[in-house]
Formats: sequence, structure tokens, C-alpha cells
Amino acid sequence: MEQAKPTRMELIRVKNQIKLAEQGKDLLRQKMDALIQEFFLIMRDVSDSRFELEAIDASARHSLHLAVAVDDSVAVRSAALATRRGVYLDISGKNIMGVPVPVLEKKVISKGTFERGYSVLGVSGRIDEVAEKFERELDLIIALAETETSLRRLGEEIQMNRRRVNALEQVVIPELKEMAKEIKIAIEEREREDLFRLKKVKKIINRRKEAEKAEA
Amino acid sequence: MDEMDYSHANARLRAMKSRLLGQQALDELINKPDIDALITALEETAYRTELQKAGIEHTGIIRIETALRRDLVYTFRKILRFFREEEEKISIRIILNRWDLQNIKTILRGKKINAHHDEIQENLVPAGELDYAALIELSQQPDIRAVIDLLATWRIEYARPLTRKLQEYLERRDLAILEFALDRFYFENARSALTGDDNYSKGIVLDLLKTEIDVANIRMVLRVVRDKIYVEEPGDYLIKGGKYLSFDQLVQMLAARSIEDIVKELIQTPYAFLAGVGREDLVFERISVLERELERFMIKKGCSSFLKDPLSIAIPVGYIWAKQNEVTNIRIIARSIMGLVPEADMRRVMTYV
Repeated sequence: MEQAKPTRMELIRVKNQIKLAEQGKDLLRQKMDALIQEFFLIMRDVSDSRFELEAIDASARHSLHLAVAVDDSVAVRSAALATRRGVYLDISGKNIMGVPVPVLEKKVISKGTFERGYSVLGVSGRIDEVAEKFERELDLIIALAETETSLRRLGEEIQMNRRRVNALEQVVIPELKEMAKEIKIAIEEREREDLFRLKKVKKIINRRKEAEKAEA
Repeated sequence: MDEMDYSHANARLRAMKSRLLGQQALDELINKPDIDALITALEETAYRTELQKAGIEHTGIIRIETALRRDLVYTFRKILRFFREEEEKISIRIILNRWDLQNIKTILRGKKINAHHDEIQENLVPAGELDYAALIELSQQPDIRAVIDLLATWRIEYARPLTRKLQEYLERRDLAILEFALDRFYFENARSALTGDDNYSKGIVLDLLKTEIDVANIRMVLRVVRDKIYVEEPGDYLIKGGKYLSFDQLVQMLAARSIEDIVKELIQTPYAFLAGVGREDLVFERISVLERELERFMIKKGCSSFLKDPLSIAIPVGYIWAKQNEVTNIRIIARSIMGLVPEADMRRVMTYV
């Protein structure tokens, strides 16, 4: 703890600091409450989407397994050549309580049977089903990418805020209060000493006056 | 081809047919605990040679699948060698040409995305007329136009529909244009090669081909209706010349509002069996389930050729269908053992003939 000068000015300064720290703590606590509220709101979406993603993934893998078994991996890979393409997404950003979170373009990857780039007569319904399910999975992954990143950033911000609040509550404010207390004690001590000294001086002066009176 | 030639070729095919795995043998394979046990069991069958060759490069499921593919290619080439007359070869080639179609499509797909030729070659199965050397040469061409040019240079008939549709493809960059042109050409070309004279053997292949056209049209109609595609010109989607379904019937089906409606319309046809699929599959429009039933119907029809005149093309035709089905069944068993798929599920997708 920093050694403070035991003056009234210093006491006023420290008291102002305590007031400021407490105001900051309250504000941070309010921000944390708002972030937590936002966090749980997004988390509900994420956990629903997660379950959906897991279900669609299991179903897509089952369909892939079936297609590879019946149509041969060669036919599945051949169809995959026809449908292979990059996925380009526009990413922008927004602020949630001062936390920057990404906003991904809501691009739908799912396509109709006639839009996949192969002739429907040359590809079995099983392979089509695989493409359809994995496209849906990709759509969900894109949607989840935005919400999960937001969730992670909000989580990090909540943690950081909590650390700040804790630091203010457990360290900064108690230290400032301790400092103010010490300054106050030091000032009071000095006041008492001054009073005692004044009384002593007054006593000496009185005694001297009485002695002079007696001599006269 | 005279009956004498058929008797020799078909006797060999009947001997080959006797080596195909029956239901009991397949059941034994289903009960194998793991892939190694399955390989050991398959080494006791006609797949021994190819399994041993594939074992040099691959292990596990890939070894089995590679061996199955190579055995299929070897068997089909052997069948073609049995027949000396061009007329019979044409009929058999028509059946095997679907592999050429698949290979050309794979090459075109690879070229469209500039895939490395090694990746394209991994997905080729030279079971048709185009052998491996020809397919490798095609896969090494720089782009789609060069592939079509090379096919034209070799005077391969598939160059015709591709050349006709190339400009449209270049404008719209939709490979389905070229692929559908190939599919349509295959059916129309095969139909015109088989019609004309009153030949019993050709009639057998034509009957199967027309049924396949029906199946292809039903598959198309199912997808059009499920995806709610507005069809301006039905001729762009349908192939004429089916066996049981007229063009008008199919056009009417294109206007159906749901898969269930299509199935209802098919009740008066030999495809009434589609009504037997689960109600849930119909409601959720699971086309793959309906397609599996159509495939089963085709496999059974193809394999039933064995029951026709033993001194005709019926025997090789039946054998080709049965062999393809056996390979598919073994692949299903292998993949199911690997993926720990329950036996009931495995049997549901297999086809016994």
C-alpha cells in the first residue's frame, strides 16, 4: 500500500477515490448483470442449435454410411466432386454492452436437388440425402459460429468484469478505506498532540503569569 | 449368334452363376464379427484372387471394396470376351455402358473444379467400354472442352450430346446440363440400337432398358414434385420410351402435389409396390426409400432373365445383374460390420435374388 501523507487534503482525496471506486464497482456490477442476461439469452439458442447440430450430424453420417455401402464410395466421391465449392461469408461486427461480437452473413448453403450441379438421374436418392443433410449441417454450423463466438466473447468479458469487480471490492476499496482510516487516525493523533501541547503551553504561561504576580 | 455359340458361352456363365453367393452364404458373411474375419471368409470365394492383389496396397474395408470393384471389372470384361458376334456384344455393352457414363461424369465433375487427375482416377471404375488407359487419358485433359474433344476424336458416341450442349454449359456453368444430356443420350441411343428387327435377345435387353427408363422417369418425377419445380417443358425432364408409363401419364404425375399423390397414381401400374413403403417415409418425402424399392424391382427383373431362354442373351444379362447385386450386398455387409450396424438394418438395404 502506498504511503500517504496524513493531511486533511489527502484524506479528502482518498475519500473521493473510495467514492469513485464504489461507483465504478456498481457500474461494473450492473454491466455484468446485463452481460449475464445477454449470455443466457444466447446460450439458450446455442444449446438448442447444438442439440440440433448433433442430431443432424448423426443423421448425415448414417446416410453417408448407407450411401457408401449401397452406392460405393466411388459414386459418393464422384458426386462430391460435382458439388464441391468454397463457402464465402461476409463478416461484420456489432457491440453488445461494449463487447465486439461478429455478425456472419446468413447465407443458406442448402440447395435443391436440381441446383447441386449433377444430373439427378446419375445420382441416387441416398447420395442426394447425404448432400442435403450435410448442407443443413453446414447452415447450422455457420449460424452457430456467430452465436458461439458471441457467447465466448461475452463469457470472456463477464470473467474480466468479475475480476475487476473483485479487485475493486476485495483489494482497491479496502486498501483505500484502510488508507483513509490511517490518515484519519494520524490526523486525530496530531490534533490530540496539538491540543496537549497547547494546554501545556497555556499551563506554562499561566504559571509564569502567577510567578510574576507573586514577585510583584 | 447361333444357338451353338450361346450354348458354350451360357454354359460358362451358368458355371459362374453357380459360384455367386446364395442367401445362406451371405447370411454366414453377415455373422462375421469383424472385417478380418470377413476377408478370411471372402478368401474362400471367387473373390480370393482380387482380395490377394488388393491386399498388397490396402487393408480392411478398402481392401474389400477395391477387390470387389476389380472383380466386377474383370468379370464384365470376361463376359464380353465370351461373345464373338458384334450383335451380342452390342446388347451386353448397352448394359455395361452405364459405367462409361458414370466415368465420363466423374471426369467432367473433376475437370469442372480443376481436381488433380489422381483424385479423378481414384474414382473411376473401368467396367464399361472405355478401358482404364482411355479413362486415364481423358482425366489428364486440361478442361471439359478438351475431354469432349478427345471423346470426339476417338469417335466415342457420347461426344455428340456433350458437343451439342457444351455452349449451353459454358453459358450457365451448370454441369447438370451435360450430365442430363448424357443420360438422355444413353437411353435414346440404346433404345434405337435395340429396336427395329424382331430379335428375341435384343427384345430382352430392350425390355429391361424400357423398364429402366420408367424408373428413371419416376425418380425424376419424385424429385420435381418434392422440390416443387415448375416444369414448363416436360420433355426437358422426361425420357420417352418407357415400358409401362406413357409420356402423358408422367406429365400428369409432374403436376402432383405430393409424393403420396404420385404413389397413388402408380397403383394401377407394375410400380404399385411403392405404396408398400412406410407412411412416414411418404409423408416426410424420403425419396431414397422409394428409390431403393425401385432398384430392388430392377434387380429382381434383371436377375429373372435367368428364367428365360437359356440359349439367348438372357443368361449374360441375368448374370450381370446378379453379379452387380452380389457386389453391392457384400459391400453393404462389409460397411455394416465396420460401422456396427444392427443386422436388421443391414438386411433392410440388402437385396436377395
